Amino acid sequence: MKPFLKMFLSVWKAETLRLLRSPFFLLFSLAMPLGFYFLFAGLNGPDKPLAGTTWGVYSLMSMTAFSLIGTAFGQFGIRLSYERRDGWAGLVRLTPLPAGLYLAGKIASTLGVNLAVIAVLFPSAALVYGLELSAWQWAACALWLWLGSVPFVAMGALLGAVRNADAAVGIGNGLLMALAVAGGLWMPLEVLPGWLQAVGKWLPSHAYAGGAWNVLAGGAPDLRQLAILLGCGAVFMVISTYIQKMKEAV
Amino acid sequence: MGNHNENLIVLDRLEKKYGAVRALGPVTAEWRRGEITALLGPNGAGKSTLVSLLLGLRRPTGGRAAVFGMEPDTRAFRDRVGAMLQESKPADGLTVKEVLEFFRSLYSRPMPLARLLAAAGLEKEAGKAASSLSGGQRRRLSFAVSLAGDPDLLVLDEPTVAMDVESRERFWDMIKALAAAGKTVLLTTHYLEEADAVADRIVVLSGGRIVSDGTAAALKSSAALKSILFEEAGGRAPDERYALLPGVVRIEREANRVRLYTDDTDRLLHALLSGGIAVRGIEVREPTLEEAFRRLTNAEGGEQA
Repeated sequence: MKPFLKMFLSVWKAETLRLLRSPFFLLFSLAMPLGFYFLFAGLNGPDKPLAGTTWGVYSLMSMTAFSLIGTAFGQFGIRLSYERRDGWAGLVRLTPLPAGLYLAGKIASTLGVNLAVIAVLFPSAALVYGLELSAWQWAACALWLWLGSVPFVAMGALLGAVRNADAAVGIGNGLLMALAVAGGLWMPLEVLPGWLQAVGKWLPSHAYAGGAWNVLAGGAPDLRQLAILLGCGAVFMVISTYIQKMKEAV
Repeated sequence: MGNHNENLIVLDRLEKKYGAVRALGPVTAEWRRGEITALLGPNGAGKSTLVSLLLGLRRPTGGRAAVFGMEPDTRAFRDRVGAMLQESKPADGLTVKEVLEFFRSLYSRPMPLARLLAAAGLEKEAGKAASSLSGGQRRRLSFAVSLAGDPDLLVLDEPTVAMDVESRERFWDMIKALAAAGKTVLLTTHYLEEADAVADRIVVLSGGRIVSDGTAAALKSSAALKSILFEEAGGRAPDERYALLPGVVRIEREANRVRLYTDDTDRLLHALLSGGIAVRGIEVREPTLEEAFRRLTNAEGGEQA
């Protein structure tokens, strides 16, 4: 029998190739976040003060968060739903590859690509605007945004369980936009209407970008942000595992 | 490895119910190594259910299926079985070669890439994006994917749908070569002529049960009648006259073309020629698999018994 590690690496390799070649990935995870970042930072001026830091770095964290959530939903989650509809999942199911290992390989490739996206977005912004952050701040923000993308991957797995792939696209895009706008990723939460702020501060997207904003202001992610992300991750992982088990029991 | 008389597949009172509805069984059957078996049956006869139980994709509600002495749905089982099921669209972002390399990497003794490409007839398309293939090419890619692990058992559900005539011929040649090399092939098809030409054994399912199991020739002679076909040379004779001939079971006519069904064509032919009816252009017809199949399953309403 083929060792698990070799199988895992094949899945990781194939999925990474697919991700990097996807026009949707290039558009929604790289071009759009970068474009919006330069738009927002340019309009407001990168040096304009905001929340104890400047627009130039604050918006960079927001748009990086937006990009990674989008990858988790679109490239990981929605794709799972399409693969089931198109019969690809059925082909994989017939191989000796365990379902869990297939999913693990896909998650690993998503996380690997997420790290690469951070490695593109941060230097692009830093070079254009000459952003000044300490090395530990760059590193802490990168690490927080990278690891913090895991709960959104879990949410993506739930999207992948949606039977109708076209519905999964609609739900995924709607959810991404809602989380981005109400979570304060487009505009800081403070400029939104009061009722939206009240909802927004509890959203995982706000906690996600918020941890990085705290680092920019010289602080660290707080306990509430950590709890919201961990809680969301755990809940979505349990639900999608449960759905998976239900599907297998036929 | 293993002994040659080993029964590759054993179905023991296998049964599947969905709620109160019985989709299959109980079915009991055995398959040996190197056999090509066609599984025939009208829609809803339980073919797909049988295939999915055999592959461990669904769980039986009674009895058991064992393949290579193993329960289906184990990794060791999947390492030795290849299957081509419903139409599937390959994942986008990979070339034909990358798709095949991916599947090869999941098996302990994969078939060489060059052989897979040749089996699929996709040598020229190796570098093309798999998602850009035509319907027939996709079907052939699925076939190559099913062979990726050099399987001992190959299960094919309607394999030739969407293939053109040439691909189909190449496909069946390949299947025969694989069986000759000791692989066991189980397939379902709607094309009865293909089943007749390729399969060593034909299993007919109807209403979830096996109603016939044997060679194509045995099935034809047991389930359908031979017939004598001729033209009336001297005007129309009344059907009653034909009905009096020995062993006539059924009479069909189209203008002056008459067809008499019987299980003893020699005796009937004798009686016909000495019976005083002027006939010409006599043909003795063996039953076709199609006729046998229809009689067994009462699938089409057009055929009267």
